[in-house]
Amino acid sequence: MSNPDSVPDLTPPDSERQKPFDTNEIDDEDGNDGDENDVEDDDEDEDGNDGVFRGPNRPKPQSREARFRSGKLKMESLLQRMKTGPVSVRVHDVIIKGNTKTKDHIIEAETELLNNVGSMQELLKASQIVNLRLQALEIFDSVKITLDSGPPELPGTANVIIEVVETANPLSGQIAAFTKAEARYSTVEGSLKYKNLFGYGDLWDGSLAYGYDHSTELSAGLYLPRFKGLVTPVTARAYLLSQDWLKFSSYKEQSMGLSLGLFSSEHHDVAYNIAWRTLTDPSQMASRFVRRQLGHNLLSSLKYTFKVDRRNSPMRPTRGYAFVSTTQLGGLVPDNRSLRFLRQEFDLRYAVPLGFYRAALNFGVSGGVVFPWGNGFSSKPSSLPERFFLGGNISPVCALGGPTTLWGFKTRGLGPTEPRRHVNDGTADPSGVDFLGGDLAFTALADLSFDLPFRWFREKGIHAHVFACAGNVAKLTENEYRNFSVQKFVESLRSSVGVGLVVPTSFFRMELNYCYIVKKFDHDRAKTGVRLTFFAAP
Amino acid sequence: MAQVGERESEELTLVTTKPYFDLPTACPLCLPLFIYLKLAHFPFRLSFNSIFPDSDQIPYVESGTYVAYNNENGGVIENLKRDGIVDLDSEFQSVPDWVAMKAMISSWLADAMMYELWVGSDGKSACKIYYSDLSWPIVKVLFLKQVYSVKQHLGITKDNAEQREDEIYKRAKIAYGALSTRLGDQDFLFDDRPSSLDATFLGHVLVTLHALPETSVLRSKLLEHGNVVRYAEKHKTKLIESSSSSSGPQFRSVPSSSTPKRGPSNWSSKPKSQPKREKTEGEKTFKRRARYFLAAQLVVVLLFLSLMGGNDAGDMELDDEDEGNAFD
Repeated sequence: MSNPDSVPDLTPPDSERQKPFDTNEIDDEDGNDGDENDVEDDDEDEDGNDGVFRGPNRPKPQSREARFRSGKLKMESLLQRMKTGPVSVRVHDVIIKGNTKTKDHIIEAETELLNNVGSMQELLKASQIVNLRLQALEIFDSVKITLDSGPPELPGTANVIIEVVETANPLSGQIAAFTKAEARYSTVEGSLKYKNLFGYGDLWDGSLAYGYDHSTELSAGLYLPRFKGLVTPVTARAYLLSQDWLKFSSYKEQSMGLSLGLFSSEHHDVAYNIAWRTLTDPSQMASRFVRRQLGHNLLSSLKYTFKVDRRNSPMRPTRGYAFVSTTQLGGLVPDNRSLRFLRQEFDLRYAVPLGFYRAALNFGVSGGVVFPWGNGFSSKPSSLPERFFLGGNISPVCALGGPTTLWGFKTRGLGPTEPRRHVNDGTADPSGVDFLGGDLAFTALADLSFDLPFRWFREKGIHAHVFACAGNVAKLTENEYRNFSVQKFVESLRSSVGVGLVVPTSFFRMELNYCYIVKKFDHDRAKTGVRLTFFAAP
Repeated sequence: MAQVGERESEELTLVTTKPYFDLPTACPLCLPLFIYLKLAHFPFRLSFNSIFPDSDQIPYVESGTYVAYNNENGGVIENLKRDGIVDLDSEFQSVPDWVAMKAMISSWLADAMMYELWVGSDGKSACKIYYSDLSWPIVKVLFLKQVYSVKQHLGITKDNAEQREDEIYKRAKIAYGALSTRLGDQDFLFDDRPSSLDATFLGHVLVTLHALPETSVLRSKLLEHGNVVRYAEKHKTKLIESSSSSSGPQFRSVPSSSTPKRGPSNWSSKPKSQPKREKTEGEKTFKRRARYFLAAQLVVVLLFLSLMGGNDAGDMELDDEDEGNAFD
């Protein structure tokens, strides 16, 4: 992509026809070398046009070669001027062509910064940015921005002509894999997208996602780049989600809801979610705590995420740091019967390059706490799906979704448990327990990754790593916080170490690890041995 | 079994819907069980689940890891009998009238109550009994779902609505008459000793008298039988209002040595799937292995496509210097 600060690359024009200045053809270039450009004045419509360049009135061209030479001279003079200092110009008019369906104001909203340019250099830079923004709307097959001279009676002005070609085929589909932070597992998703149905740059999509841990989600979403003058795009998503936790915690979760993305920028994200959630137990084997949680709940929550990710790669970080903090406040309706809770989680990752074999040390800590609020909150239990569960097959080095997993521990494989219902018919497992998760969770990891000394592996990006991690969850609600002590929490930290091979592919990052469980407790589902973990970047 | 035996004795807890209308629980399915335990002088703790009104598992009793759900083996009372915990009916099974009375209460009166709560009256009583702790949008949807389900169960359509209503009320009236005659001036229906039918009938009568609106047709039919009303109020005073809390000073643990037989599915609720215990170990292992096999195949195929087809994965970015650009 072009560096907007540079003077554009100049190459001799290969077309004999004079063309207006086209920002799409600008190449990457450093410095002001005084190279030549194929920018030429557009003088086809008007004669005596001296426009931007303040050149002498051009006589009617007598031959193509003469026109070409004259244009080249003008360009050189312009670039000389641009080298010495800003060439003052302002935008007189922005002309939009080619949009049959898309509303003008959608395109104009993206071009606002053109109105503030004061020089040629700024205009070139702004044109590049506008080009990128329009392409990012995903509703155009191509975007071409042309700089033309303004009306002859207004010297020092330019017109910007934006030609767009709307997508010929608005329907597109894709299949993708990614790791959902909130859901804590990897999913495969198939989606259909319909672009620009109403001409507001609206993107509609329907998707069906299947998660590794037996969850299915059917959802439909809408993305609006400009909604009633709001600064950032608005997204809305209606979903039907079903998650099966019968094997781990003896309940199934069904949710039907709507989530609205209210504000989204590079570092901040605010979303509102309203959902009807039902927990059921078709197996009728749940433990006492889970039985009490079964039923319907109205979830109305606001979620704020602050994210800084300065790592050089989400799949194999070798340098940089990342910090994510997520705050979720539930119970935002006046109705005190909706679910009221406050959930806070954070992740910190730091990668230090070691300088040999592309080795790097990755450190990470993650923590989270959830608490109900309202009358008598200290004796109320927290809602089961909002609690923290540790364990699973996601790579903890890459995942930034709060404390979610430890190498070697199975899904929901550690933490407080409660015995399941016992039935005297001989077939039920007498030692069956439900994993209840915790209100406070903490994990820490250290990972040393390095290339293998074989060329084939290096070419494919396959590398090795040695790792260690520790983590724990604890219950704080229902007055358990009175019995909580940091010393006890640290003493009951589970930990594991291991070594493995990392295989990054186009779809996901796969780790084949040998994990040795250093410390676990009675009911924890963890085993020393070979395990596979995955991570797919969202 | 050893697990429960070794554990110290735990009190029996009854889980029902919330109290309302001056009753410890106003749900016509839950109140009979409460009264049954009271009649048997069996100490228990009362606990509530107010967010799952459409569950057919409620009411249930629990003690340690023992649970008896409403939708298993004919109901909680049958479960308690079967498991040897509480049995008030051991001598009444052979009484000729027993089966007829039981059939009348469990079908005609139960249907009449269901109809009156959800269709006959304006539904306000039902909403207070079941939905007082749920948010408005959920209440609306659950209510409509329940009304539809009740109409399906009772076979009510637009065409036969009036006839079905007349039939339901007529049967209720017959049942009231028969039970009133059976009761006479006694304290209980059979032999002046409490039975599960007393519990069920008392539950029905108390909910009809206290929870249904005064305009209710069913309620007015019941009020014609003074002896039934007196019988209900007398027991209400004795069992419900006199004891301040339902947990007694001593607790009894649930005997763990009995082996409950699997009986027919519950008569009053929709048949739900039995707990998934029927699969043999071999089948489960086979399915698990098949899943792992398929997953392994998929992973190998994806790896092959990615690695052999040329790798342009994100690793290439690692060679670039840090441009200070943030990654999403």
